[in-house]
Amino acid sequence: MKKMFTPIFLILLLILAVNCQRNQQRNTDKPTIAFIMKTLNNPFFIDMQQGAKKAADSLDVNLIIQAAEREVDVERQLQIVENMIQRKVSAICISPSGSREIVPGIVKANRAGIPVFVVDTRVDSETMQEAGGHITTFIGSDNEDGGRLAAEYIIDKLEGKGKVAVLEGIPGHETGDARLRGFTETVGNEPGIEIVTSQTANWERSQGFIVFQNILQSDPDVEALFACNDMMALGAVEAIKAAGKTGEIIVVGFDAVEDSREAIQEGVMDATIAQHPYMMGYIAVEKVVEKLKNKSIQDEIPVKIELINREKL
Amino acid sequence: MDGIIKDYKRQFGTLLGLLGLITIFWILSPYFMTFSNFLNIALQTSINAIIAIGMTFVIISGGIDLSVGSIVALAGVTTAGSLQAGLPIPVAIIIGIGMGFLCGAVNGFLIGWGNLPPFISTLGMMSIARGSALLFTNGRPISGFSKSFRFFAEGQVLIFPMPVFVMIVLYIFMHFVLNRTKLGRYTYAIGGNEEAAVLSGIHVKLYKVFIYGLCGMLSGVAAILLTARLNSAQPIAGIMYELDAIAAAVIGGTSLMGGEGMLVGTLIGALIMGVLQNGLNILGVSSFIQQTIIGAVIIIAVLIDMLLKKRK
Repeated sequence: MKKMFTPIFLILLLILAVNCQRNQQRNTDKPTIAFIMKTLNNPFFIDMQQGAKKAADSLDVNLIIQAAEREVDVERQLQIVENMIQRKVSAICISPSGSREIVPGIVKANRAGIPVFVVDTRVDSETMQEAGGHITTFIGSDNEDGGRLAAEYIIDKLEGKGKVAVLEGIPGHETGDARLRGFTETVGNEPGIEIVTSQTANWERSQGFIVFQNILQSDPDVEALFACNDMMALGAVEAIKAAGKTGEIIVVGFDAVEDSREAIQEGVMDATIAQHPYMMGYIAVEKVVEKLKNKSIQDEIPVKIELINREKL
Repeated sequence: MDGIIKDYKRQFGTLLGLLGLITIFWILSPYFMTFSNFLNIALQTSINAIIAIGMTFVIISGGIDLSVGSIVALAGVTTAGSLQAGLPIPVAIIIGIGMGFLCGAVNGFLIGWGNLPPFISTLGMMSIARGSALLFTNGRPISGFSKSFRFFAEGQVLIFPMPVFVMIVLYIFMHFVLNRTKLGRYTYAIGGNEEAAVLSGIHVKLYKVFIYGLCGMLSGVAAILLTARLNSAQPIAGIMYELDAIAAAVIGGTSLMGGEGMLVGTLIGALIMGVLQNGLNILGVSSFIQQTIIGAVIIIAVLIDMLLKKRK
């Protein structure tokens, strides 16, 4: 035992010396930004990662990208935030796995004086207020804008006149509510268009099928449908098929998932709304660099959201 | 001194492994070797380490418990639900820990009296507890608790964050239980040779209820700390926690064949995993590589263990 202690002690001393030197060198280094995704096994976040990397390269900053193995692992994401605080990064960009669960992490970053940029998913403002945390800005798409785009497309296709149905998400989900708000406001300004029914199908494909079948019974002259997500839209597409009305009803979904892109290609669905994760990643890093140069940043930075139809696929 | 070192020989090897890892990260990153980062690692390790205490008991007894992660979720949401219903904090905590004990005791009962293999019984419980948690909450998290409940995460005792303090107290206490009480000695006896244990008059079935119940209870404790830490109880919390707990015990020298293991080793094992994740995060290593490295460390630890045994 005793024999081992001398060499170990010497090694430790050596490391200490090397370490001190490194510490001095580090001071002149360029800033390091931590970008914490929900997960890296989802195409949405892989795009976001690529955007962030591109921005970091062109703006000459260090970028650490980290993510939990599972999208729902809120504890792991909190741990990563804590570790990045220990790493003394210049700023943290985060796409929260849990709108409420991430708040303790943000508060810790605040205490350490590290600015936090929230990307894509909003933090629950009530929880934030109660905990006394604050973020520099939110970078993400405005779901209301998405709803507006869908409305404009349908108004255009119907040439300003016709009956429209809406499939809502689970009531009380901010994402779905915002999409719905944007849609109904825009349609409300168009006197020729009438929303004949607006019902929830709880985000689900199977419920989209059932609810829209019922709608086809009660309002057979419906000419267009806006569904607050693609799953419900795809369910409705099945119901339209079953009723033999394919091609007669305009269907617009939301999210641009793979299945809906295929349905648009096939011609059974008309359009969907797509967000741009690549731009979110890019803009987030860009804004961090601006902040580090002491420029003022808006509270919210909207990222382009667009409608995809067959021509744009 | 010699005697102690012999007893803890295997654990001493694990400790050297931990020190080696710390040294490597110390060389590689100037941000690693700070006091605040050590407290941070201890905080992040605490929940896994507490679950791993129960897991160590179960593994020493020759079993396995795959349900701890789901029990964490169920105990978490029942505690949170009780708090939201306006029950006082101590009552909510007893309900949460009690729920953990209940799930564990059912496991033990099915294994002892039902003669089910632990793998099957706890696999079933994994699904039952998760389903119940989802049912209880309708799939939504329960969040927002009083400052006094959040003290379990944000509070400090001496210099330690509360979860770390709880972890330390539990390790000291459970070390005593494992080495100095009937329950502890019987746990080793059952895992070493179950038939011999039965023949020597140990009520093996009953003690299995205690052992799995204890494991469930400790998962309940972990659930309360986790809920306070996130200020939210999620029905989908704790997924795969069982594997982290098993890994901590195994890295720490607990034999999956039963009859062998020590809590000191488990604590070091849990710290190794905590240090790895923290260090790799700080270095900015890709999260895919992190998973790979952690897997490799588990395999290497067990390999070394087997080699050491052969040399004896």
